Amino acid sequence: MNNEYAISVNNVGKTYRSKDGHDNTVLKNLDFHVKPGEFVSIVGQSGSGKTTLLKTISGLQELTEGEIRVKGRLISEGLEDIAMVFQAPVLLPWRNNIDNVLLPLEFRGTRTDESRRYAQELLEMVGLGGKATRYSYELSGGMQQRVAICRALVSHPELLLMDEPFGALDAMTRDSMNFEIQRIWQSTGCSVLFVTHSIPEAVWLGDRVVVVGDRPGRIVADISIDFPRPRNKEHRFSAAFSDYVTEIESHIGVTAGIS
Amino acid sequence: MTTSEISSDDVRRSAPEAMLVGQKPRRRRLGRESVAAGAKAVAGLIGIFALWQVLVVVLDPPEFLLVGPISAFAELLERPGYFASNTFITLQEALAGFALGTALGVLCGAALHYSTTVRSFLYPALIAIDTIPKVALAPLFIVWFGFGFESKAFVAMAIAFFPLVINTYDGLRSVPHELQELARINKASRWKKMTKIEFIYAIPAIFSGAKISISLAVGGAVVGEFIAGSQGLGYVILLANSQVDLPSMFAAFIVLAVIALALFFIVDRAGRKLFPWKNHSR
Repeated sequence: MNNEYAISVNNVGKTYRSKDGHDNTVLKNLDFHVKPGEFVSIVGQSGSGKTTLLKTISGLQELTEGEIRVKGRLISEGLEDIAMVFQAPVLLPWRNNIDNVLLPLEFRGTRTDESRRYAQELLEMVGLGGKATRYSYELSGGMQQRVAICRALVSHPELLLMDEPFGALDAMTRDSMNFEIQRIWQSTGCSVLFVTHSIPEAVWLGDRVVVVGDRPGRIVADISIDFPRPRNKEHRFSAAFSDYVTEIESHIGVTAGIS
Repeated sequence: MTTSEISSDDVRRSAPEAMLVGQKPRRRRLGRESVAAGAKAVAGLIGIFALWQVLVVVLDPPEFLLVGPISAFAELLERPGYFASNTFITLQEALAGFALGTALGVLCGAALHYSTTVRSFLYPALIAIDTIPKVALAPLFIVWFGFGFESKAFVAMAIAFFPLVINTYDGLRSVPHELQELARINKASRWKKMTKIEFIYAIPAIFSGAKISISLAVGGAVVGEFIAGSQGLGYVILLANSQVDLPSMFAAFIVLAVIALALFFIVDRAGRKLFPWKNHSR
């Protein structure tokens, strides 16, 4: 297989076997590739297996069919280059923000004197340089999620997996976080797989939007988004933008609530 | 009610500067709150004592049925050495039992959490043993450990043990799955996962168990003394009973309440010192 992809998902399937012997297929024949530095959004209805897909790529769950390679290596070989951002920031309340950012390095046993400086840099990049020694309960939800993003980036991942990272934030914070994540992604150059419920968010952020259909989860569309970078507010209100949104809605089977 | 106090506090906290100043105003607020709470608690206690004394004066029961708090306190002042030495005995038994029960309980709770084998074999058995009233074990401990200090400490331990098992187990189980996943993605060793996340996460739950256990341990020691004792507050109560000496009995009750309360307070404070973040979590 070629190594030119950051991730190649080859014919992946996942089936749970329930206790009474019934098979529940969550993912079926999934096949897609992510180029290095690419930002790929994944949308689909709840229960379509988007989160399961992320968890299999991160190695948290095993697949029952096919294979996933990250930079040509099978994920079962154990990967160092992956980081994940969850919907909830889940910062440790007894650690200040910079120590929360450093946690993954402590887990890996790779924390050095240099690490702290890098963690501080990351916090500065997300505008929280002055809050390094503050605790999570002193931060708003959006700030906490930014600390969680720094925690994911501290291990220099090549691949960042984000599982509805802004799903719990209010609309205004969410918009500003979208700008933020575009900027962060552009400055780090890592590949991103971004799972979201919000189609506009997926379109605005993604180089591509992969639409996952449900029961079982399979790819129903893979759409390239042709907007230049960095993207700005204007793109959101362009005709092309709403065309993309409409197209994706039709693939998901969303019936627009506006008559 | 202290509505005025609360609303003025809310106004102060909602100010943006509260965010910038950080912890300080909250700490002061907590301090003031706890002083107010303490004052109310003391007022409540004095009220109950006053009511008790009034009842005794009004109903005027014979001294072998009920005595007022004034007689009880007078008894305490009359024989301070007697009560102090017996209190010290009971306190030692309770603390030894509590310490042992806590250590074993935390170990056992952790074993339940980390080993599926232990869990499947021992959890049902533990629940079954827990249904036995622990005071019923006291005669057995006397047989095993004799009439001295040890048997009482073991009764206290048996009672203090279970809340800690359950709370440690629950605390370890309540670690958010995202943190588990974060540890797995970063290939954390089991030991790092335990020391950096799980045990610290479980500390508040362990302390709520300890707060229950510490009062129970005092009760356990007293029961041990009831059954076979020649000293301690349980013995003081038994002796007073045989002599129909109610002032002495009520004096012992008061001392028991005071030490149980003091121990509870110490455990509570220690917990707050160890996990200050709990005061802020929503």
